[in-house]
Amino acid sequence: MKKKLSDMDYNEKGAVTEIESDLRKRVAGMGIRVGKTLRMVTKQPIKGPVDVVVEGAETSLGLDMAEKIVVEVTK
Amino acid sequence: MKILLMGHPNVGKSVFFNRLTGANVTESNYPGTTVDYTKGWMKIEGEDVEIVDVPGTFSLNPKDRAEEVAVAMLHENKDAKVISVIDASKIERGLYLAMEIIEEGYPLVIALNMRDVAEDKNIVIDAGRLERILGIPVVSTVAIAGEGIKELIYRIKDAKPVNVADIIANAANASNTESAADAGGAA
Repeated sequence: MKKKLSDMDYNEKGAVTEIESDLRKRVAGMGIRVGKTLRMVTKQPIKGPVDVVVEGAETSLGLDMAEKIVVEVTK
Repeated sequence: MKILLMGHPNVGKSVFFNRLTGANVTESNYPGTTVDYTKGWMKIEGEDVEIVDVPGTFSLNPKDRAEEVAVAMLHENKDAKVISVIDASKIERGLYLAMEIIEEGYPLVIALNMRDVAEDKNIVIDAGRLERILGIPVVSTVAIAGEGIKELIYRIKDAKPVNVADIIANAANASNTESAADAGGAA
């Protein structure tokens, strides 16, 4: 099932399928690229950032960035 | 000779800097900004070497002032050598930045720092194998304990520009020999 990263629930895992083109280079340096598997670990309330684990390393993304990333959720 | 210490924020660049230069340090603002950087001097095999502690950056596409300074400092020093400091527990994104610097043709040495932290997370990196694939020196270090610093200094002279195409070929070879070894082991 495809979902925006910002809509993922806690502990959900999935592979990145789409990243909006203007964002692609900005998140690549943080290890987030199309095909990478990530797990959502924390979402802060009141439009706060989303924390994900990619390749064993934790990264946080602003909600506006997380909205531009689509993930194929596996579980 | 000039050496730039580059890497993500909080990977230990400044610890390396202090280990390498000792107390002989001047701190200044990059002209026109409030971003601090530090430079100092050390001697390697009798030669005076300038070491620059570049602000941390995630990539060579700057997102803020500090990153702009980091990228500008790299581009202003075309003849410098670069020590790429990588958090061994987050090696993937560290290598992303290292590859960007390699692509621009700088001679590079990789310091796989925080080896102890990575081991606590059950991450063990074969530095020798990474070195054969990348074609540049790769040294495991624990900068705060001083581990690997001497080797790093000794290996700076081996830093050289490499072709990305060579790295891709080496990586393909390495995975071939690995699968051949696996097949051999099974038979």
